[in-house]
Amino acid sequence: MNFLDYLATNSQQIVFLTQAHFLVVLIAVGIGSAISVALGLAVSTGEPDPRRFSLDWFATGIREGGLVFTAALLTVPSLALFALFLPITGLGITTAIIVLIIYTLYTVLRNTVAGLTTVDRAVLESARGLGYGRVRRLLTIQLPLAWPVILNGIRVTTLISISIAVVGAVVQGPGLGILLLNGISRIGAANSFYQVLAGTLLCLVVAAVFEIFFAIVQRLTIPRGIRV
Amino acid sequence: MSTATSETVDLQAEESVEEVEGQQGRISSLWSQHYDLVILPAIIILLLLALFLYVGTRQLDSIEQRVLAPDNVAGLLWQQILLAAVSTVLVLVIAVPLGIVLSRRGARRAQGPVLAVGGFAQALPPFGVLLLMAFWLDFGFWTAIIGLTIAALLPVLRNTVVGLQQVDQSLIEAARGMGMTSRQTLFRVEIPLAVPVIVAGLRVALVLNVGTATLASYIGAGGLGELVQQALRLNRINVLLVAGGIIAALALLIDWLAGVAERVVVTRAG
Amino acid sequence: MSETTDQPVVETPQGAGKPDMIVLEGVEKIYPGSEAPAVSQLDMAIPQGEIVMLIGPSGCGKTTTLKMINRLIEPTSGRILLDGKDVTHVNGDQLRREIGYVIQQGGLFPHFSIADNIGVVPKMVGWDKQRIRERADELLHLVGLEPSVFRDRYPRQLSGGQQQRVGVARALAADPPVMLMDEPFGAIDPITRDRLQDEFLEIQRTVGKTIAFVTHDLQEAVKLGDKIAVFATGRLEQYDDPNTILTRPANDFVSDFVGGGAAVRRLSLLELSRLELHPIETDEKAVGNSNGSPVAEVDASGKPVSWRHLPGADAAGVALVTVPLSGTVYDAVDVMLDGSASLVAVVDEEGRPQGVLHWNDLVSGLRTRERDA
Ligand SMILES: Nc1ncnc2c1ncn2[C@@H]1O[C@H](COP(=O)(O)OP(=O)(O)O)[C@@H](O)[C@H]1O
Ligand SMILES: [Mg+2]
Repeated sequence: MNFLDYLATNSQQIVFLTQAHFLVVLIAVGIGSAISVALGLAVSTGEPDPRRFSLDWFATGIREGGLVFTAALLTVPSLALFALFLPITGLGITTAIIVLIIYTLYTVLRNTVAGLTTVDRAVLESARGLGYGRVRRLLTIQLPLAWPVILNGIRVTTLISISIAVVGAVVQGPGLGILLLNGISRIGAANSFYQVLAGTLLCLVVAAVFEIFFAIVQRLTIPRGIRV
Repeated sequence: MSTATSETVDLQAEESVEEVEGQQGRISSLWSQHYDLVILPAIIILLLLALFLYVGTRQLDSIEQRVLAPDNVAGLLWQQILLAAVSTVLVLVIAVPLGIVLSRRGARRAQGPVLAVGGFAQALPPFGVLLLMAFWLDFGFWTAIIGLTIAALLPVLRNTVVGLQQVDQSLIEAARGMGMTSRQTLFRVEIPLAVPVIVAGLRVALVLNVGTATLASYIGAGGLGELVQQALRLNRINVLLVAGGIIAALALLIDWLAGVAERVVVTRAG
Repeated sequence: MSETTDQPVVETPQGAGKPDMIVLEGVEKIYPGSEAPAVSQLDMAIPQGEIVMLIGPSGCGKTTTLKMINRLIEPTSGRILLDGKDVTHVNGDQLRREIGYVIQQGGLFPHFSIADNIGVVPKMVGWDKQRIRERADELLHLVGLEPSVFRDRYPRQLSGGQQQRVGVARALAADPPVMLMDEPFGAIDPITRDRLQDEFLEIQRTVGKTIAFVTHDLQEAVKLGDKIAVFATGRLEQYDDPNTILTRPANDFVSDFVGGGAAVRRLSLLELSRLELHPIETDEKAVGNSNGSPVAEVDASGKPVSWRHLPGADAAGVALVTVPLSGTVYDAVDVMLDGSASLVAVVDEEGRPQGVLHWNDLVSGLRTRERDA
């Protein structure tokens, strides 16, 4: 039996696990990005006046602290986070998704903040000069102009999440990691190698699907005037 | 030719200026620039403290006591550090020279593909790579080292190439304009300016490898992943929490150290 | 504002009678963290329909003053009246929608089409789509951009000069009575700038806005301004019509600022159409009855091509140069120097000669005509 035979005979299970992997990543990245973009929007409204106390101080504090904190979380090995969440959220998909969400936070938050704060000052000033209020400025000027950077952050975090989701199998999270754990525990047995190989390579297939998805989203959502 | 050398030496001239400042001003300016470096150790200490308090209040059964015995944990910790350290050295030895070669004029065409593949390869699970190595080479420490090295290679290579691309082109042109050969430019201008890039690569490699090394226990190479595996097998939550806490603390600590090193190098390079 | 001068070479329209549109009363701005005020105790009134140029060295508070008018910067103290209404405490965003604002870097929204950029304020104040579109086309026309070509383009597809025209159109969109402009032509190359200035005056002739215009270019201030306000660090040094600023600077600061070239700069204030010109003949028979007038040879369309007779000079040796009647004495001098000619024929729009200006006139004094309404 060669690799292709293996894939053919087990296609049902393999397709199911690939779909599950895709969905777990999609859900986690979706929720994580929503949280990060919302947080980024909330804390990127302005630079605080050094002499006067205002809400901007909280925003800046949360922003800087949030970046340091989520960056630190990103360095924590996934096995550790799965282990720490398991007693709280139990075996299964919940733990897998929560941990994946945690890993998406930093990249998207960083890109959101960077995108929002590097919008051309002249554009912002003229918006203000034409009577745009804070919220309108944020939503109709800053967000669309920052969107390519934000979207790229989401894309990168998706790729990372695909490879992390594999470890979720340790806590019985759904996805291709199940093939890996099965294969290694049956090492020496028939097809165990193909099982691991399939689990690893299909991650790239999932990644390719996401890349196509993002190429389409980019095309549809990046305003024409700033498309490169 | 003589002017060319004196110009490049100037790159380091700024350092001596700082020395004129008073010691006190220096400490306070150090503090104001780098106060954020205190945050992470504080988190680590809090994490470990919480862990000890938790475990201290628990009645550990005999299995838990055995698994969490200081000897056992310390041995696994050492394995973990060794796995991460050796593979990181290997990654750097391979990826950095390769990155520099790719930044040479002749090889520059290969950069685009390397960046694209490197970006996409982030989706390739290091866990899978590690397990495949075990099928190929059997279980054990060196198999894990090879797996770790392969898994981290592309991301670090990608980082190095991007970093070298960002070295100011006008400086390179200036160096060439003063009559430096491309070899001299590489060693006197590009590589010194790329040191921060290399240190950043070190940090990326370390973080990746510490993370992947926790999975080495699945191919019999030991490390702290062993604790997690045992906890899962024995269904011991206390062990799970201790294992997770220690792994997290170790990773944070190593990243912090690499971050400090990065900061030192970057401030040096001005 | 006293208008009597020793040298009544040019009459500027009297400011009296027009109500003041923008009034600053004791306005002061102290930025947080700085001791000295950026603008101190400023009193200034801008009459309706006039262009007031704020000029002064860099960092003297021009931009700060301008931005306090639409409250992009809140004054530390003082009052600002717009059309008689105190706007110091009204809602800033609402206020700004009623004031046009143009800045140096254009500040067009890169993700909005040109038409959408122009429609920004009308949309906010609730115009319907159809009206916004018509308005955008109308304004594109006004600023010299063909609507069918430009309305669907994006800012990055436009040159700097074109972007700046759109910036002006956007500021005019909801027909605000007041416009604030902060060095709008500052980043444009000199030739384009000159053209934009001409067009700007043309537009102002039709729209008649009250305009506060920041510049650091004295030439621009003299050319565009009905009045010029000269600032020194945080203080208004002189506020007068251009001619007075040039001829009678109020103090050493202003005279230094205006500099040595004042007399030459004034030439650009003198419109040829206002001058008493020497007569010019085109009839061949005029050569004989030498009444002292120069005689030009004209082509079939009546345009002068060369001198046939010049009293007291060899007509063949002098090039015939022309300058349009709509130009200024500055233009005439420029043409004479350029053509090494001691006199210039002033021609009307069709190119037909209307009179002659001699080099000597510059020294012996220019005489203005009585103005006909
Ligand atoms: N946001 C600000 N905070 C503090 N100081 C400012 C700020 N904006 C301008 N200034 C200072 O106020 C003075 C006047 O600035 P500005 O009005 O921009 O000058 P101008 O437009 O005439 O060049 C300058 O000394 C400038 O440094
Ligand atoms: Mg200014």
